[in-house]
Amino acid sequence: MPGIDIEGVAMRFGQVDALKDVSLRVPEGAFVTLLGPSGCGKTTLLNIIAGFLAPTRGRVLFDGQDVTGLRPEARDTAMCFQSYALFPHLSVQENIAFGPRQKRLERAETARRVTGLMEQLGLAPHAAKLPNALSGGQQQRVALARALAVAPGVVLFDEPLSNLDAKLRDQVRTEIRDLQRRVGFTAVYVTHDQAEALAMSDTVFLLNGGVIEQSGGPRDIYFRPRTRFAADFIGAANLHDGPISGGAMDTPFGPVPVDAPDAAHRTLCWRPEVVRLTEAGALSGKVAHVAFQGGWLDLFVTAGGQTLRLQVSGTHDIPEGATIRFDIPREAVVVLKDGANA
Amino acid sequence: MWTLPRLQTLLASLLTAVFLLWLIVPFAMALLWSLVDPGTPWSYPDILPPALSFERWTLMWETTTLSTAMFNSYTLAPVAAVTAIVLAAPTAYAFARIDFPGKAAAQIVTLTPLVLPGFVTAVFFASILVSFGVYSRYGAILLGHVVLFIPYAVRILTVSFAQVNQEVINAARDLGASGWGVFRAAFWPVLKPGVLASFLIVFILSIEEFALAFIVGSPSFTTIPTILFSYLGYDFIRPNAAVVALILVVPNVLLMLVLERLLQSANPANVSGKG
Repeated sequence: MPGIDIEGVAMRFGQVDALKDVSLRVPEGAFVTLLGPSGCGKTTLLNIIAGFLAPTRGRVLFDGQDVTGLRPEARDTAMCFQSYALFPHLSVQENIAFGPRQKRLERAETARRVTGLMEQLGLAPHAAKLPNALSGGQQQRVALARALAVAPGVVLFDEPLSNLDAKLRDQVRTEIRDLQRRVGFTAVYVTHDQAEALAMSDTVFLLNGGVIEQSGGPRDIYFRPRTRFAADFIGAANLHDGPISGGAMDTPFGPVPVDAPDAAHRTLCWRPEVVRLTEAGALSGKVAHVAFQGGWLDLFVTAGGQTLRLQVSGTHDIPEGATIRFDIPREAVVVLKDGANA
Repeated sequence: MWTLPRLQTLLASLLTAVFLLWLIVPFAMALLWSLVDPGTPWSYPDILPPALSFERWTLMWETTTLSTAMFNSYTLAPVAAVTAIVLAAPTAYAFARIDFPGKAAAQIVTLTPLVLPGFVTAVFFASILVSFGVYSRYGAILLGHVVLFIPYAVRILTVSFAQVNQEVINAARDLGASGWGVFRAAFWPVLKPGVLASFLIVFILSIEEFALAFIVGSPSFTTIPTILFSYLGYDFIRPNAAVVALILVVPNVLLMLVLERLLQSANPANVSGKG
């Protein structure tokens, strides 16, 4: 189970820089996601780790060993593809056995692994079926079993859940995480779905335009975004531009408290659900629109031509047009790095 | 009442009937003509031949070089088909999976043999071969057929190669497959129908090709079409021509049916991704 180091990797396709000088470290046995919008370079980076692409610059290390020049078949990796990429003419069982057979594993050991994986992933009843006789979720499991059958130290996931419906996605997501803990492998997971990234990862690497915008644990990256892009891409965010003086920024809603020195121009950011509704609140605004979401309530509050998005428990019953007062905890407000020149 | 499904059934059976007639009538006529007894000719008022016999068949077999011609045709065709496929494969691969400057032009150039009349190609091909020092008739016709029919193989195989899913190729490599293993797992299942189709088309075109076989081969080297055409010339003998025509057609039909079965069984591979 190797740890992975990416050192100064850049990738150029013709005139386009898909990756510009990316460095990151994946600890042994960790589950990390590469998160970003399409075209951010996340899949390119995954293909470089797998060995399908050779980077224009930089190195890839597994446990300190340089594998940059190594072919995919010689790397300790297995990939789960977005389209599943099952062999359409081979049965479920033969698909799973493909890797061990190519690696000339002992027959008994191959059979043991295949049976074990089919058992674990609930594929035993479908062993003899061809992939096109299976549902999307089942195909996804076959792809996963096929990757795990070579007992890889690193499993690479390329948006493996994007073709599944929402409910199945939650289920398979949990299964993948369970399996990763149980079997033990280093996982690199590519997705554009921030909920997936937050729910599964030990560490999230947020990519934008071929560079790592921010990295950190799910909580850190959600509650402490450092840039406008990070604030915006992961969930909803409220932003305020203006000067900070005396530990607060004056806004049409009232003073937003912040733990930062005075400055002429900064951008503050906080998440909609950190808000506390209270009669004694220092901030206030008019409720322009209410959207009941079941478990929670989305409130769109306006003042001075600006709109904030607040999220409160679904048990509140607030009519549109009402004026509400609220507080924002000082520790929940962050100053964005690229606020001053934005 | 004329309900829509009934109308559709009616139209479908009508269409089938027309096609069957279209195929069967000439076929039946050829069969009847080939069985006309040489002693009692089939002429105007008779609807059916007055007497039937296999004498024309035995006569043709004994008095002509039909057996040699059949040997020539039925060895030329498969060899030409396999050679064309082998030579077309790299080009088709490049057209389907590699981007290179001038690709569009190259694709048009490979198709040009299709628009040249066969006789034009044949006339100049014969002289080129002689100046290259190729004197073997068999070799010359084989080479000619490969050149003439390679565009079909290129065209069909280009489509096949384009259908191979890059992620499946990557998956095979990722799981440790060698070059051959990748070919077997990712390429062959998708290519197989295209290869069979190319084989069938080149085979049939080669069996039926006349111009080049005639110009390069005649008079000493015969194929089935050159014999057939010799019965359509000044001394047109319809029963004899019918015998040769049937010999030309029947194996093609059989081959087509066999390959059709192979194609069906070879195709679990409607490559799926989303489900």
